[in-house]
Amino acid sequence: MTPLTHRTRALIVATTLSLAFSALGVRLFQLHVIRHSELAQLAAANRELVVHRQGRRGEIRDCNGNLLANSQSVRIVAADPSITAARAADVARQLAPLLKLDQSALVAKLSSAGRYVRLKTKVDEDTAQQIRALKLKGIGFEDQLLRSYPNGILASHILGFVDSEHRGVQGIEASMQDYLEGTDGYEVIERDRKGREIRALRSQDIGPRDGYNVVLTIDQVIQHIAETELEKAMAENHPQAGVIIVSRPKTGEILAMSCRPTFDPNNPGASPADARRNRCISDVAEPGSTFKIVACSGALNDGLVTLSDQFDCENGAFLYAGRMLHDAHPYGVLSVEEILFHSSNIGAAKVALHVGPSRLYNYITQFGLGRKTGIALPGEVSGIAHPLSRWNKLSITRIPMGHEIAVTPIQMLMAMNAVANGGRLMKPLVVKGIVDADGKTLLEYQPQQVNQCITPRASMLMATALRKVVTPEGTAPKAAIAGYDVAGKTGTAQKIENGQYVRKYYSSFIGYVPASDPEISILVSLDDPARGAYYGGSVSGPVFRAVAEQVLQYLNIPPQFNLDGNDKKVASLS
Amino acid sequence: MRRNRKREPLRFGTVARSVVTCVCVAVIGLAYVWQKNQIYKLGDELKKREATLAATEKRNTMLAAQLAQLKSPSLLEWRCRQYNLGLVTPRETQMVRLYEPGVEWDTRLLPAVTQAQLQVQKQMRNQWTKAVAQR
Repeated sequence: MTPLTHRTRALIVATTLSLAFSALGVRLFQLHVIRHSELAQLAAANRELVVHRQGRRGEIRDCNGNLLANSQSVRIVAADPSITAARAADVARQLAPLLKLDQSALVAKLSSAGRYVRLKTKVDEDTAQQIRALKLKGIGFEDQLLRSYPNGILASHILGFVDSEHRGVQGIEASMQDYLEGTDGYEVIERDRKGREIRALRSQDIGPRDGYNVVLTIDQVIQHIAETELEKAMAENHPQAGVIIVSRPKTGEILAMSCRPTFDPNNPGASPADARRNRCISDVAEPGSTFKIVACSGALNDGLVTLSDQFDCENGAFLYAGRMLHDAHPYGVLSVEEILFHSSNIGAAKVALHVGPSRLYNYITQFGLGRKTGIALPGEVSGIAHPLSRWNKLSITRIPMGHEIAVTPIQMLMAMNAVANGGRLMKPLVVKGIVDADGKTLLEYQPQQVNQCITPRASMLMATALRKVVTPEGTAPKAAIAGYDVAGKTGTAQKIENGQYVRKYYSSFIGYVPASDPEISILVSLDDPARGAYYGGSVSGPVFRAVAEQVLQYLNIPPQFNLDGNDKKVASLS
Repeated sequence: MRRNRKREPLRFGTVARSVVTCVCVAVIGLAYVWQKNQIYKLGDELKKREATLAATEKRNTMLAAQLAQLKSPSLLEWRCRQYNLGLVTPRETQMVRLYEPGVEWDTRLLPAVTQAQLQVQKQMRNQWTKAVAQR
């Protein structure tokens, strides 16, 4: 074999190298040009990560800025049993006291099958830090947002609650969902080989926007007063349910709204659905005698009667259209004023006969009955106010005493507010405004007049009559407050079960104070008080008084009379 | 005939230029690396601060809820009962109300002051002024 010359050997090496480099070049061309987009995506997927950041849900505050609901970041502690199973007992021994869990149950979870098991949810940040310091392998954390209601059951029916997705289900949480809900943000990050973020390479950083805060017209202290007094009334009278609403007649602002039975929004599932219902806006019932304010206001407004006009109350039994109408107590001739403060059904029926069905129906609609008030709470119902075409011959005598009509407590309170407020029917206001996280007001809700039901003069005349309701001759002397000018109306409505009136009652009282210049109005209604007395004046009247006394003091509203009840209050500089 | 370059002495200028060029390249390279390093360090610092801020915000919301809980009327009432402090709201009969002249000019301070009250206050002030003038 002829030995290769130097030149040939050099040529072979050069050719081999050229081929090798050409192959590399081809491969590089294939990777960098032909498969560029595919491989770039794969590389990015290995390196980059899109991290979503949840916007915090807004807070709910009362009119004085007290926190009623906020969202807290808590942790879910989870384990990978494939790692923890080997030393489950040791891990459980360390975790059990921190998580406040049973050690044996924890061992079972830590040695279960699979690669993921939740050990505990809603773990606060401090506890999470303590667990992290233990440096336990196979134990991890996840973020979780928790809606917190620091005052527990206080104003629970107004606040509502959220579901597991942090979306409002009931109350303000649901009606103000669009404002409260935050906007999520995201970050596009690059990770190192250990999966840690390389902060300098963060390419996109869109921060989340926290939800707006909702400020309510509710006053935490007044709400507490209402809740405490309702609780006492429930314990004393054992009704099936009860409501108290406190409002400002001039503006329609709701200062407190309390229902029993109630629930804890921190754990709504623990209470039955019945307890979670806001009875103030969703329960309809015949209003009973409180409705007499509508018929009498209408008659006074139209100038058909004066307070001193007299009607024969037939000694408690009035035959009309073939049916007998009774009074709770037999009365002879009563003036319109007396009809109101004695709460005579026959008297009210005769006043309504003067007004006539058409005008009476007009006043029913004018007072906002039979339609939603428009309060910013979900679940409000319209009530039942039959159109004139569905009235029968008896309707004109039954509706004035609060039969054949069904209203919600909020509707009835707003109607009374109209009487108190110079005839102006206001829309109930429960949300005062929307503010951002820095406290800047974005939206302010103003009091809104719905219509003018009656003239200020008729309103004044009604106040004159309604003042007498709380006098010893009236139906609610127990609702009187020493030194204060109180006006109100009692109601005792028979309940209907299976289409029949039964011997169960709604006892209610709606009043406002001071009658001359109303600052607050209060509705108290108890559903079927079971302890003997059931008249509105004797059951709900004292509750009204207890609430009103405290609220007046809290709002610093001075008495109108000397405490002996005689003269106008005399203030002295000496 | 070609000159024998091995025998030529090194020119200082050429050497100096080369050294300067090398140093410049090295400095630029080092500066670039240093700068990158600083960026990464700052990134890490930023990350730590962000984590601290997030933790502080979380703690803040937790403390806000705790504060609200501690300020809640029901808890305060319960505490008063628990410690037998005897704290109760004063009744109207236990209060003496003083009407200050001029309060009507700043009604925001006393939201409960009504028009009727203001009228009473004006009358009182006029009486007081007259009484002072007579004296």
